[in-house]
Amino acid sequence: MRQERLREAVFLVPGTAWLLLFFALPLVIILAVSFGTRDQYGGVLFNPLTLRAYERALEPDFLPTVLNSLRYAGLTTIFSIAISYPVAYWISRYGGRRKLLLLVLVMLPFWTSWVIRTYAWMMILGDTGVLNGALQGVGLIDEPIVILNTDFAVVLGMTYGFLPFAILPLYVSIDRLDPELVAAARDLYADGRGAFIHVTLPLTMPGIIAAALLTFIPSIGDFVTPDLLGGAQTITVAKVIQLLFMSSRDWPFGAALSFLLMVATIAGTLATLRILRREVIG
Amino acid sequence: MSDMDRTPGSSRPISRRSVLRAMGLLGVAGAGTVVAACSSPAATSAPATAATPTGTPAPTPTLEPGQTPPPTPEPTPQPTPEGELNVYNWDEYIGEDTVKGFEEQTGIKVNYDIFDSYETMTTKISTGNSGYDVTFATGVDVPGLLARGLVLPLDLSLIPNIVNLGPEWQDPGYDPGNQHSIPYMWWTTGFGYNKANISEDLTSWEALWDPKYANHMAMLDDYREVFAAALIRLGYSVNTTSDAELDEALALLEEQKPLLRKYTADDIGDLKSGNVWLSHAWSGDVAQVSWSKRGKDVVYVIPSEGGIRGSDAMVLLANAPHPIATHLFINYMLDAQVAADNTNYIYYMGPNEAAKQFIDPAILDDPTLNPDKAMVAKLQELLDLGPDLQKYQERWTKLRS
Repeated sequence: MRQERLREAVFLVPGTAWLLLFFALPLVIILAVSFGTRDQYGGVLFNPLTLRAYERALEPDFLPTVLNSLRYAGLTTIFSIAISYPVAYWISRYGGRRKLLLLVLVMLPFWTSWVIRTYAWMMILGDTGVLNGALQGVGLIDEPIVILNTDFAVVLGMTYGFLPFAILPLYVSIDRLDPELVAAARDLYADGRGAFIHVTLPLTMPGIIAAALLTFIPSIGDFVTPDLLGGAQTITVAKVIQLLFMSSRDWPFGAALSFLLMVATIAGTLATLRILRREVIG
Repeated sequence: MSDMDRTPGSSRPISRRSVLRAMGLLGVAGAGTVVAACSSPAATSAPATAATPTGTPAPTPTLEPGQTPPPTPEPTPQPTPEGELNVYNWDEYIGEDTVKGFEEQTGIKVNYDIFDSYETMTTKISTGNSGYDVTFATGVDVPGLLARGLVLPLDLSLIPNIVNLGPEWQDPGYDPGNQHSIPYMWWTTGFGYNKANISEDLTSWEALWDPKYANHMAMLDDYREVFAAALIRLGYSVNTTSDAELDEALALLEEQKPLLRKYTADDIGDLKSGNVWLSHAWSGDVAQVSWSKRGKDVVYVIPSEGGIRGSDAMVLLANAPHPIATHLFINYMLDAQVAADNTNYIYYMGPNEAAKQFIDPAILDDPTLNPDKAMVAKLQELLDLGPDLQKYQERWTKLRS
């Protein structure tokens, strides 16, 4: 019995060591920094330990930024799932022998750098870019419309970027669904729509929730897309954190915000998983 | 979800709960240790003191009256440079063939890294151990960098080309005698606009607050410059530390924010791409745009209320792995032809008097790139604010949030 315990423990060591060194330790350092104060050159002083950074983070004028972040992440998640569900459904049901190829095609853009793909969007959405050029060429508009550096561009960029995150879990969930169940529903006088709403959707709900989490969590931390595709008004919590660490050199405030963001995200995730467990396992 | 999760307590040898508990305890202990370690005064921003590069020449012997001077001593042999050099510079801020020319001339391999945001650079070198040898800091930051021990004094005997500097640059206010920095380029800040999109002649900072150009304007992503624009408009000094004046500037900037397309780190790209018609910009950047095919309609304006002038300087960083190579590089950059090549490519004026014979006359004659002394006198220089810089940084965070 004791030997078995030891053997199990040994297998845990590499993983735990990695997690401790590269995950836990940086988090601990950030937590420690958040209790410090900023010195005159932008360094961190640990002598007066204070909660001032957290107070500033919870100030009400900060609320619009937080809501903005939630809005972008929420819209990204909704659109991602709305687009991914039909795609995943189609690949699962009608992919046939080419299922694997189609999945690889979904993941392929993922192997290119995120920043490069975002730059590509900048070129497409710019005032003199491909989209405006096409619309003007066809004659739909006379003056270029401002698409780049708006909310629309940011949500578009983020949705595009996180689609593979959404398609794959949805695919797995839909693929697991037994087509016999849908057939049974049809036998019981359900029409296509009814079968979908009463059978397919609830049974693929775990996939939808997984996709939602996998999209929402990275979106709320994304500062590259709002930076490149967004403008002066598209400010998110992640962008403020970047600003604080790079320009304003106010590490304690940045660390406090990071921690709050992390705690909020983890809390939200745990709550969602609990609902999921209740839904699925009962 | 396996059965493992359902089993309560620690009846299993290692349960998820016990691992999480252990990690939690470790985390709290760790945080405490980090705080304790960092609270000791030695750990907070201890400046690194590195040895200055070797190779000082032999001291000149003093002469007794009547003594004939000894024969000229053999010139001290040049110390051997290291094989590599790590340079950290702004993007688009060096001549096209400058680095290659240096590599060919000296055989030193150059690792040339670029940054597009000044804050990125200062954050990196603030660690005191960035791995870079030479970087291009704004002149007025040099005293601060020196105070924090981030730059080393230069061995001017390894930089004979220093005589090429114009007389007004031999002893700049921010670094007397150029002991710790060598001026590289100087510039002005105003704004650039595209005459193809804006037909009026713009001459004042007010243009950047005009709702007519909403969604097509940009300000620089540089808080000193942005606040300077507002402070100049209000008639205050750009180096003010008065909270009242800074709050007024902040209010003015907050009025402007809804009209802006973005705060840009890439004024060149934005003006060229046509997304931005009117941008807060640096003189040489706008020149690079207007000299290009796509941006030929873009012009640069130093506003009537005044603008900013400044300069960049090359500094030798503390803990530089290749100090000798750095000196050779700095000396190379001061060469008249090389300096002229730099100017001719990036359209910034340098402090190099000897280079003027090789600089494109079109640049020398352009008042926006080479303003005369009368214009320069009207411009304000951004000075080091020390701890008061925080006042600007806090307001910048507020503005951008």
